[in-house]
Amino acid sequence: MDKILLKLVSLLNPMLQKTGVNKDQLNEILRIKLLMDNRRPKTIFGNKKNKSGKPPKSIFSNIMVVILGLMMSFLLFISDRPLAGQTLYFSMFMVMMALTLISDFTTVLIDTRDQFIILPRPVNDRTVAMARFLHVTLYITQIALLQGLPGILLVFFVDGWAAMPVFFIQVVEATLLSVLLVNTVYFILIKLVSPQKFKDIISYVQIAFSVCIFAVYYLVPKLINVSSLKHIDLLSHRWVSFLPPVWIASLNEIVLHAGRANLTILVMAVTGLIFPVIGIWFVAKVLAPGFNRSLAIVSSADGNSNASASTKKQYKTDFRDKLANLVAPDPIENAGFKITWKLAARTREFKMKVFPAFAYVPIYFLYFAFNGKGQSITEKYETMKGNASYIFLIYLSTFVLSTILQNVSQSAKYKSAWVYYALPIDQPGKILAGMYKAIIVLYFIPYCLVLSIATVIIWGPMTINDILLSFCISTIYGMLMALFMVKGLPFSKPIMVKAGGGKMIVSFVILGLIAALGFGHRFLIKWETLIWILIIPMILINWIMFIQYKKQSWDAIELADTDK
Amino acid sequence: MTDQPIIQIKNLNKFYDTKQVLKNLSLDIYPGQVIGYIGPNGAGKSTTVKILTGLLPEFQGEVIIDGMSMTENPQEIKKLIGYVPENAEIYDVLTPMEYLDFIGKLYGMEEPILSERIEKLLTAFGLGTNINDRMDTFSKGMKQKVLLTAGIINNPKILILDEPLSGLDANAVILVKELIIRLSKEGKTIFYCSHMMDVVEKVSDRILLINKGEIIADGTFESLKQNHSDTLEQIFSKLTGREESGVETDAIINALD
Repeated sequence: MDKILLKLVSLLNPMLQKTGVNKDQLNEILRIKLLMDNRRPKTIFGNKKNKSGKPPKSIFSNIMVVILGLMMSFLLFISDRPLAGQTLYFSMFMVMMALTLISDFTTVLIDTRDQFIILPRPVNDRTVAMARFLHVTLYITQIALLQGLPGILLVFFVDGWAAMPVFFIQVVEATLLSVLLVNTVYFILIKLVSPQKFKDIISYVQIAFSVCIFAVYYLVPKLINVSSLKHIDLLSHRWVSFLPPVWIASLNEIVLHAGRANLTILVMAVTGLIFPVIGIWFVAKVLAPGFNRSLAIVSSADGNSNASASTKKQYKTDFRDKLANLVAPDPIENAGFKITWKLAARTREFKMKVFPAFAYVPIYFLYFAFNGKGQSITEKYETMKGNASYIFLIYLSTFVLSTILQNVSQSAKYKSAWVYYALPIDQPGKILAGMYKAIIVLYFIPYCLVLSIATVIIWGPMTINDILLSFCISTIYGMLMALFMVKGLPFSKPIMVKAGGGKMIVSFVILGLIAALGFGHRFLIKWETLIWILIIPMILINWIMFIQYKKQSWDAIELADTDK
Repeated sequence: MTDQPIIQIKNLNKFYDTKQVLKNLSLDIYPGQVIGYIGPNGAGKSTTVKILTGLLPEFQGEVIIDGMSMTENPQEIKKLIGYVPENAEIYDVLTPMEYLDFIGKLYGMEEPILSERIEKLLTAFGLGTNINDRMDTFSKGMKQKVLLTAGIINNPKILILDEPLSGLDANAVILVKELIIRLSKEGKTIFYCSHMMDVVEKVSDRILLINKGEIIADGTFESLKQNHSDTLEQIFSKLTGREESGVETDAIINALD
């Protein structure tokens, strides 16, 4: 496959050589980069760790891409005017391409190793920039073709044979546009911010993206009446014509339905074809040259070392330090609290996994709460307000708690955890206790507070006792999870994909127990005083379990495999 | 030393934003010299190396290598230089053979000569049996050997080594030290950056000490010794303005009380 792609690229050689690119070097760089890709596990759909020698470019992830493409292609049938359906399809297509590019290519686009491996060799800037661009394009083309395949086939049922080759061109167009957009944003961002910040921004964008897709998937069908899309006329809105997916869709309109196309559509279709070409030229000429230079400066030690210590930074104790001293006065516990807080706040992969969970909870809640059929949004809202569904909201937030607990002991840099084993800590349970307190105090309580305020505003102050009780039961859940599932010190184990079978059963049992308590709560909801009283034993149970957790000895702690 | 200098640096200045890291640096280096380039962290060492290897194309002043100007002809200059970077960056999913083949091709080397040379070099470095193993399983020392091989694969006129001994075991250290001396006898110019004073003292025939962007000492180890003290370590600490011996350790010991 790679060889074919390289052959294809070499067709461009004459043109590239004219712009000052060395074709042999370009070919060589591309070949080695593709080789490395094959040995690097993909992040989207792929399993994280593939230790076996087989190429991890698994058939499974390819099949997933095709299935996704199939699901997207149903959008083509949504409207009786292909323009609307195709616009939706290509919007989705481009979003998926951009997501893949962002998640798989952050490392590629800012591979700082290139600085020391390729740039000291006699390779000019333009060759490197072109190699980088073509590399991204080749990689994404493979995925794009798989993703577009179902669409290319199914478009036959909408517009007949002639639509299929046109659709192929449209897929290529969409791919190029996505590559171009992501590249441009990258190149501009890297000029404005440092790579460290840049990586942070990228991961926040990824989080926002995945939350949006999740929300759209669950909520849009509940809020919008799909059948109203049937006869939508996109072009009645002026701004629509500035969106790239519309340009792509216009190509179909102009070629296959020339009769009903007008000048606007013609202009858009032509823009869609020309734009990628201009864009590639723009990236190569204007944006790429400075890229290597700004990387060079950042990876240079002299550039950012503060040899002249004129601006001595003073560590500011903020309220969280005071909080730490207040809730975890024991020195070892305090250490556990602070290390969890600081590493959690600064570890990118932890945030990537945990932060989306905060947004999923309200989305899930609305999904279930708006379940009524054939009502308008205000009607749905009134129904929701009328029943006691708010209990469900707090209980759902245990999802956040379990996500944090599952991830808190894992880290890519787990080897730094040697300090725990090298120091004379006789009761590692204290570190765990500090960790648990940090999770509850810094993440769970503030989150529940926000949810509670929303609840009180919508349902009224009568709900406070229920909130408190469900909060206590939720922390019992957290405590049980911690006791039975989280036996690793904070950020001390390599990242694993899944827990073992035995653990799955335990976690289901715990979940079942909490569900039972939750339903019990729902059942007793009318007796307000009883709810108030029940809070007390729940706090006691929490307390007893916490004492138990704190007593964990080294035997109970799961150590990382230290042999490698 | 009647030859033309192979590296000429004239009034080199470099700023990062407003911070000046190199101040009016001027240097002539002749073929066959082994330059020991030393200085505290942040003194401008790695910036000099980056400019010499063509990684930082923006600077003020003149850098002329083998008669060519760095600003006008960086690609031709890069062909003359072999570089072993400090931070051991390597594509470790590749095998040494694949990696070195890649590097050689970037220098425009042809197939049969290249693969033969790779094999000979790796065998000489004691990696003969690991030629086709992926480097992600390699120890730090083994990776360093591959990087050294990559540095000399194109038979460069100038070899720039930045902490080349890190991770190597004692035998490999001896090998590299001998190699440096042999290469200089072959007429190669070697630019050796390190913090290990005892090694620099032994291998280099000219020592440059940089501090705060300026060369503050330049000469053979013998000539530096006469002016100051008996080991390079002492010369270094005196010239870079470390406080009177004992002051810092006193402070450390006192802090423990």
